[in-house]
Amino acid sequence: MALALRTMPLVTGETASTDGELIQRAADGDRSAFELLYRRYARPVFGLALRRLGDRGRAEDAVQETFASVWRSAASYKPERGPGAPWLYAVARNAIVDRARGRSETPAEIPDEAEPGDGPAEKAEQGWVAWRVHRALEELPEREREVVTLAYWSGLSQSEVAEFLGIPLGTVKTRTRAALMHLADILGDEVA
Amino acid sequence: MSPNFDDIVGGDELDPQDEARLRRVHQLLVQAGPPADLPPELEQPADPETGRLVDVPYLFQRRRGLAAVLVLAAALAGFAGGFAFGHGKAKPAAFAAERVVAMQGKNGRIGVIKLGHADTVGNWPMLVQVSGLQRQTDPRAYYELWLTRNGKPVAPCGSFRVHGKTTSVRLSVPYTLRKFDGWVVTQQPPNDRGIGPVVLST
Repeated sequence: MALALRTMPLVTGETASTDGELIQRAADGDRSAFELLYRRYARPVFGLALRRLGDRGRAEDAVQETFASVWRSAASYKPERGPGAPWLYAVARNAIVDRARGRSETPAEIPDEAEPGDGPAEKAEQGWVAWRVHRALEELPEREREVVTLAYWSGLSQSEVAEFLGIPLGTVKTRTRAALMHLADILGDEVA
Repeated sequence: MSPNFDDIVGGDELDPQDEARLRRVHQLLVQAGPPADLPPELEQPADPETGRLVDVPYLFQRRRGLAAVLVLAAALAGFAGGFAFGHGKAKPAAFAAERVVAMQGKNGRIGVIKLGHADTVGNWPMLVQVSGLQRQTDPRAYYELWLTRNGKPVAPCGSFRVHGKTTSVRLSVPYTLRKFDGWVVTQQPPNDRGIGPVVLST
């Protein structure tokens, strides 16, 4: 029998505001909106900065700079041009690039051949995907985020996750499915 | 090795449409990799009580300037772990702020002084964050934080050098703060024992 996986909305009240709405409110000096943006995006910004800069101290600085820029520049956000997440991503990327530039004290040598691995476009795409996914994870209830984290990035099997959490294996699977369905709802177009 | 979809969510029959969505989410999770472990300094959002966040002795004339200072203060107040010299190479213990004072200068220079609780003999710990100050070119040049009386710097509170766009340092002063009326930061040229030009003030 197919499980009923349709989920209830995760967000209610204040937290139901879209990113764009929060940015607009922050532009008007609404600190609670700014704090909600911080809660939603501090981790994705830090993750993005850490991947790009490779240094936790600089990544922390980039988080500060990003949110300072968000507060200063929120009025420049135009909702008719798109949702808030890409705008925030651009602000974060700019802050991170500034930090990366500051790190380069000696001119870089231009390589004769392309470096192996992903090019800038691929890296940008990966950065955006990670940004969206990690942002979506922030929306999950703690117990769902916990099983997703353990299932995907701890190296534990689902049985081991069940043992670790002290809950039945069936509960782990049910909770994981619910978490993934929630993520699908949050990610919207990404999973269409 | 990437986690296996069937191991994670398989087992029971799934509606094909739901399964397709779950598989796509699974792919995105694998592609995204683990989220960053947010450091304790960044765990807390800014203090929601704006009125208690920033103690601004004088009203700024430009809203933009105030907004920038507010957000710096907000960010600083939210970072329980504090900061250290040199982009966090060392992580000091948590810093409990009693109040936060904002400073402002020309050309977008801003600063925040986060004051901790004085100890039993009157030492006031401070966390000072400045942004936009010109990096000193002479190795002997530095900046100095002062307490002011009638707007004039009278009590030195500590020296520091800036290393980038934003610099954070810990200082401590033994003064009775209520005897003063503000703070300034001066730019101290090398080999000059006088009081340099003011670059930030409350």
